[in-house]
Order: sequence, then C-alpha cells, then structure tokens
Amino acid sequence: MSSELPAVAAASPSEGAVLLRGHLHPAVLLLSLIGGLRSAAFPCLLGLVADRMFLILGGVLFLVQVGTGLVRYLTFHYVLTEDELRTREGVLHRQERRIPIDRIQDLGFESTILRRILGLTVVRVETASGQGVEAVLDSLGRGESENLREVLLRLRVRVARGVENAGVSPADGSFPPPPSAAPDPEWTIYRASPGMLLLRGLTDLRIGAVLVAAFGAYEVADRLGVLTQIRGVGATFYDWLRGFPIMLAAGMLLGLVFGVLALSVAFAAVGNLMAFHGFHLSLRADSLLCRFGLLTTRQKTLPRQRVQRVRVEQTWLRRLLGVAVARADSAGSGRGTGEEAPGGFDVVIPLAELAGIEALLPAVLPGLEQSSTQVSRASRMLVWRVFLRSCMDIAVLIAVLLPFAHEAAWFGLLLVPFAWLLGRLYWQGLAYGLWQHHVYLRWGVLGSYQVLLPTAKVQAVALMRGPLQRLLGLSELRIFVAGGPPTRIPDLAKAEAEALLAALSARATIAAADEWNERRVGFHPGPA
Amino acid sequence: MDPNDVSQPPHGAPPLVDGGEERLERRVVAYWYATDLLKSLVLAAILVIGVEFWRQSGNGPTWAPVVAWIAGGLLVLVALVVPPFAFANWRFTVDDRLLSLRFGILFLENRHVPVPRMQHVDLMRGPIERLFGLATLVVFTAGNEGSAFRVPGLSRVRAEALRDRILRARGRDVV
Repeated sequence: MSSELPAVAAASPSEGAVLLRGHLHPAVLLLSLIGGLRSAAFPCLLGLVADRMFLILGGVLFLVQVGTGLVRYLTFHYVLTEDELRTREGVLHRQERRIPIDRIQDLGFESTILRRILGLTVVRVETASGQGVEAVLDSLGRGESENLREVLLRLRVRVARGVENAGVSPADGSFPPPPSAAPDPEWTIYRASPGMLLLRGLTDLRIGAVLVAAFGAYEVADRLGVLTQIRGVGATFYDWLRGFPIMLAAGMLLGLVFGVLALSVAFAAVGNLMAFHGFHLSLRADSLLCRFGLLTTRQKTLPRQRVQRVRVEQTWLRRLLGVAVARADSAGSGRGTGEEAPGGFDVVIPLAELAGIEALLPAVLPGLEQSSTQVSRASRMLVWRVFLRSCMDIAVLIAVLLPFAHEAAWFGLLLVPFAWLLGRLYWQGLAYGLWQHHVYLRWGVLGSYQVLLPTAKVQAVALMRGPLQRLLGLSELRIFVAGGPPTRIPDLAKAEAEALLAALSARATIAAADEWNERRVGFHPGPA
Repeated sequence: MDPNDVSQPPHGAPPLVDGGEERLERRVVAYWYATDLLKSLVLAAILVIGVEFWRQSGNGPTWAPVVAWIAGGLLVLVALVVPPFAFANWRFTVDDRLLSLRFGILFLENRHVPVPRMQHVDLMRGPIERLFGLATLVVFTAGNEGSAFRVPGLSRVRAEALRDRILRARGRDVV
C-alpha cells in the first residue's frame, strides 16, 4: 500500500485539496450487459414461444438496462478531498452528493461472485443520516477501492491526531506529516473457525421457523377444507405404504421426516458457512475491520468511536450450548426491531462461546476493560405486571373462545400458572447496570440478550409509565441512540428509573458538550 | 438591548423564568378541539352514514348501525375528553443543557433531550395553528427511529425565543 502514500503526502496543504478522483470501472459495462441479457431472456423466450410482441419488450428491456448502465458509467465521477467525498452522476437529472469525511460512519465492500471474477467491488458509504447507505459506488476496481479505503482511514486518523496533538483544527491546513510510511499495524481480534460457523448454521432457528410455518400451513389447510384433498393423497400414500411390512413402512416415514429436517438444517448450515466463510475481525488504527464471505465477499470498516451499541444475542438453543452472536450498531445502520442487516453487515462475531465474546468486547468498546461489571436486578413487582398482563390476555382469549368452544374455553385457566412462570423467568432474565462509560442491559425469557451502549452515545432518554405500571410503581426507561430502535429497560422501580434518567441525560449532555469543544477548539479533556 | 437576549421577550410579555417548568398556551385546547374534534366528527359521520346506506341497500346484519353509532360516539367522546387532560399534563423545561418534556394521559412520558445532541430545530406552523397564533417546536437528534421530539402549543414569540436559545446554547456547528 505504500505506493498510494505519495498521493496523500503530495496533497497541497490548502483546504479541500483533491486526494483521489476516479470513475467507475469499465467492466461495469459488461455487468450491465449481462444484467440486460438476463432481464431480456424471459420475454424473448416468451416471444419465441407465444407472441412476437414479447420480443420487442425484451429488446426494450435490454436496451434500457444497457443504456442506463452506459450513461451511469459515462457520468459517474467521484472526488475525495481532504474534507469530503463528492460523487456526481446523471445527465438530465444531475445529482451531486457531498459527504464530509468525519460524517462517514462506515465503509462497506461487497462483491458478488460475478463482480469478483471481473475484479470489481461495490463500495457502500454509510453516514448517520438514518437511511443507512448514503452513497453506493457500483463498482470500482478492487485495487482502486482498497486505495480509497486506505486514504480514507489515514485521513480519519490524521484528523483525530491533528486535533489531539496540535490543538489546531485540521481545517487550518496545519496537518502534521503522515506519521510513518508503513500502514498502521493490524491486530486480529477474532477469526471464526469453520466448526463454529457450522454450529451457527445448525443452531439457526429458522429450522424452528420452518416447523412452525408447516404447522401454520396445516391449520390454514384445515380451515380451507383443502385438507380433505390432502387426506385423499395421504390415503393413496397410506395404501401404497401398506404394501410394505409395518416396520419398513414406519422406518420410511421416519426417514422422510428426518430427511426434510436434515435438508433444512443443511441449507441453513451451508448458507451460514458461505455467508460467513473466513470471518476475520481486526483492529487497525482505531477502526474495526471485518472480512467474510465465500461467493459474495464482504468487507467493512467501522470506526470504533462510531459504535453506538453492541448486542450479544443468544437464542434459546444457543443459550443451551453456551454460544452467542455479537453485533455492533453504527449510526445510521438502524433497522427495525428484529430485522437483520442485509448480508450480515452488522455482525461482529458470527458465533463464539459467551465467555470468549465477553473477553473480546473491550476491543470493540474501548473503556469497558476498566469499568466495574456490577448489575442490578429489576423490581420484583415486574413479576406481577407480567402476570397481570398475561392474565388479561388469557381473559380476552377465554372471552373470545367462549361462543365457539363453550365450556372447553375454561381450560384457558390452565394457562394462569404459566403466566406466573413467564413473569418469574422475565424477572430472572432482566438485569441492568450503569457502568463507568457504558449502560448494560440483559433480558430474555428463554434466550438471553445483552446490550452494551456507551453513555457518550446516548441521544435522548425517556421514561414511560402505563396505567398498570403506575399501579405497581414501575417505569420503563428508553434510551435513544443514533443507530436502530431505542433500547428499552422495562419495569424498573420508579425511583430507580428516575435516578437513571437523570444520570444518563447528564452524562449524555456532558459527553456531547465535550465532543463539541473538541471539534471546535481542539480542546481535549481526556477520559473522564 | 441585545436583540438575541431571550430573557427579555418582545411585545412586553412578562420575562420567563429560565429553566423553570413551563406549560403550553391555554388556547392549545381550543386548537386541539378545532382540529381533532373536527376530524373525529367527520370520521364518525362517514362511519355512521356509510353503515346506514349499507343497511338501506339491504346488506349487513341488523346490529351494524348500532355498532357504528357506538363507535362514532366513542370517537367523538375521546376527542372531547382528551384535550383538557393533555393540556393539564403537559410540562416542559428548557435550559442550556437539557430539554425535558412531560406529557401523557394514560401513558405518562418523561423525555430528556440534551441540547448539545440536537441536530436541528424546526418551527412548524400549520394553517389552523397560525389562526390560533400557535407554533410547534420540533427538535431532532441523530438516528432514525423516534428521533423527533415535539413541543406543541407554544405562542409564536415563545417558540421563536426557544429555538434561538437552543441554537445559541448548542453552538454553531455540531455533528
């Protein structure tokens, strides 16, 4: 990478000196040609078989796709200066985007198998805008994109160092020279073993989802009366099966069930192995680097100070095995609750033993190593709240079922002990802590989910109290961060929740003010 | 006199205690009635008339109009009851560091937004709001979900003063 360095060093000290500029890689044209052929294939097939009109449609589709590809190739242009990344494209509707360097949260590389053969990479630039990906450079040559990232990383480090050492904002043009010609050393934090990835696939609960879906489909089929037809098919199958000796027939049936199960497990396992093949997490100059993928390779860089929240998740199956997944949210990467980032871009550790992950966390969240790890329990009243809520649900269920099931609906009362159990489990799973620089939260009934978020990243805090919670003297605390939905700590005792609210908003205010001072005058108070 | 000095509001209004708890303008109740009640009335009317027509054409069960009347009535009743309570429960505090909001009727909420965390501050004045001389202050923090916090029912002067004061406290350029 040392060959790229002169480009940085030679940049004139004047503000906004151009460091890099470029276009899309010419092989993009080939890509759009292939895309055009693919989209035209089906209409053309139809045209040959059915109606000639479809041939015209196919031709139009092909031309449109190739045309837009050509226009994009000819007009797309990017410039990286000392303080921003500019992209421009379009002829009639010309669009120019300027992204300040210090707003770039995350750089992602993605290259599908086709792009890899052509030596191309898609560069995704994420900012805190909330839309996630702000700009997509589709596609650059592999060397060019590596170079872009290299220069960006270096710039970011330099901006940080310039502020810390010289106390002069980099916009004044007094950049210190690059500290060394060699790129910063890269420290491996975690490397996924194939065994763990296989385990990840095997414990992928989508198998469970398949079973649930099959059960649901059976129910629906029953309602619609399709079941009689299925039964007809089943009867023929049964008759056919009866031709065999009983043991053999049972064996065949079992084999069928296991076959379907094994197939879905195998799909999940292979999918995980391919998606996260060779997963490698490393740290370089305060940026996290992730590389993974077999067919579609992905790379991303995430500056450590941009990590908004780290989640350590154990579904019930993984909890039994003592393994967990770790994910990191950056600003703007937010998706709805339960949604996964496309392509596993937010995964930091695909699967590892829980103790191992906990040992690695300080590498992702600096400052964690020196803080206490004390946790508090939620109020015991929580058990009552969950119990009462569940009882209300049960009451509604019985009321709804009564006209249909008559006396049998009262069997719903058997669920009441389970409502208590649910409350107990919920309370047992819930723990939280306000540590030196982080908020810790753990919850889960069957699975176990942990969240760690730096208090300096807190954007806003809120307390919520519903009618039932007011009755029991409980409060829910919501912590808003820039990435993803707010983190909720349900059912704290009211006084405790109010103390937390005050403490968190005070810390967030101080952190924000410090950040602001740092940016403006280069004043750096040091870690508190 | 410093034109940016918010502690001395124009129009001879009494000076506001800084960082003290404030309430919304009382006329916001009238504004809510004018908008929400009107909306609920129109909705209820559509519901009832629609169901009546549906019945006239000989369709639907006999109890459908009754349900429609009850639903429409509830809708209007809620719109009648909510605004005074919402007004009574609304409190907010602004100082150089923190904006805190307290509101809600059944579900009480208490939100704290650090002033230096605010990304931008908007003043919204809809046409009916303007008739009442009211404004809504909307502050945004970074992030996509629940990142907008609003304070409705402010007088225009107070809203502008609040905005200017937040902007001043926040400084000129923050990420």
